[in-house]
Amino acid sequence: MSPADSIVDANDLPLPSAADAAFSAKPSDIEREVMELFEQFRSPLLRYALSFGVPVHDGEEIIQEVFLALFRHLQSGKSRRNLRGWIFRVAHNLTLKQRYANQKSLDGMAFDSTIAERQPDPSPNPEEQLSSAQRRERLLAVVRVLPEADQGCLRLRAEGLRYREIAAALGISLGAVSMSLTRSLARLIRADGR
Amino acid sequence: MIRKDGNMQSEDHSSDMHVSDQELLLAADGELAARRAARVRAHLAACWDCRARMAEMEGTIADFARAHRQSLDAQLPPIDGPRALLRAQLAELASKPVGNSWRWLFQFQSPVRAAAFVGVAFVALFAAAMVGRIFLQHSAWPGTDSALVASERGSEPDRTLTPGATRMVAIGDVCSMPHEEVIAEVSTSLRQEVFQEYGIGSAHVGDYEIDYLIAPGLGGVEDIHNLWPEPYESRTWNAHVKDDLEERLHQMVCAGRLDLSTAQREIATDWIAAYKKYFHTDRPLSLRSDLIRLREDRRAIGN
Repeated sequence: MSPADSIVDANDLPLPSAADAAFSAKPSDIEREVMELFEQFRSPLLRYALSFGVPVHDGEEIIQEVFLALFRHLQSGKSRRNLRGWIFRVAHNLTLKQRYANQKSLDGMAFDSTIAERQPDPSPNPEEQLSSAQRRERLLAVVRVLPEADQGCLRLRAEGLRYREIAAALGISLGAVSMSLTRSLARLIRADGR
Repeated sequence: MIRKDGNMQSEDHSSDMHVSDQELLLAADGELAARRAARVRAHLAACWDCRARMAEMEGTIADFARAHRQSLDAQLPPIDGPRALLRAQLAELASKPVGNSWRWLFQFQSPVRAAAFVGVAFVALFAAAMVGRIFLQHSAWPGTDSALVASERGSEPDRTLTPGATRMVAIGDVCSMPHEEVIAEVSTSLRQEVFQEYGIGSAHVGDYEIDYLIAPGLGGVEDIHNLWPEPYESRTWNAHVKDDLEERLHQMVCAGRLDLSTAQREIATDWIAAYKKYFHTDRPLSLRSDLIRLREDRRAIGN
């Protein structure tokens, strides 16, 4: 069950007592902590979600879900170890779930199957003097045709996550992360004609 | 390490070996063991080739990170709206207990609240202990069923020794045959182990029956954690009463009126309490006619 699935239905909850209401009048330490983490990670998380092709409004909803799940996680006293990896893992899982739902709603539109065909040729062209924008597109095009797990590693690395955080986010081993990044970088370097 | 000719090497004592790309990346991320990291650093200090490769890889990551951000940053809406929405949702969430289970009791948001809870819990525990003491002292009061109280104590297993054990089983398997037809013989060696575990000497083994806590017909297994010595002297809450409960639970599970895991948990936690709950009685229905009448009543009201 994903963390987002564990959202408690308000109808199932007993009415808060007067003491509860008094305690909730001011933001708790956990609320403040979650808001601080939101300020810090909202953009990286949203970029990560958007890189999977989900629309912006879906991405925003995913990020809200992530931080509500984080609140419950911290509130229930669960582990704070590798919290950044945990946050990105929740975002990753929710994003994949949303993308799957969106793809189903498109009902068979030939989308994924033609993505690779529509990408510019990522092969190196040393003679061409690339502008910054062209080079950027070339790098992105190379990444888009990598296996999805490799794309995830690279994008999480681009968002500043350490290897063990990437491993936690994607549910793979540290060795798998380093192998994936080594492989992807070799392709990027080759494609970039360095 | 890899040699300059590109072949992998397991040893790294020679100065003509380069660091692999993977190790360079791990070193940059601080993920190598201290000793290995020191060796890599020493190698990099003396090897332009590896330094150049490391710079190339880090430069490529930096370039990709820049490209990744530039391509997406323009799509990011301002943070103000989402921030306000999250703050409101958190405030709403924080104003409610976590769930409808007992866990919400332990969601302390301040040391004061935690201390208050501990205080209340202590008082409640003390009160319960006093009540229990008085109850035990007066268990033979006229008008009470002392045999019932005594037999209740003897009929329950030691939960630390016998918490219950089950196998992975599908409802279809459990319900494929009547409960009473499930064979539940316990091997002699296991019986001896159970007696030994409960500290019952060979002279007294005849006073006990080895019984399953969670019956095989409910997915229980022949395991020392699921077996306990039940005294024959228990006249009220005895093995026959427990059999009735097992049959009742089996029927409810197979009729879809009770979850199998719930049945297993309740019988393992306190089978006497489960009996009282599912037969709606404080005492065993000692006569079969009582059971028959109850079943007919239930059938009549469609339960």
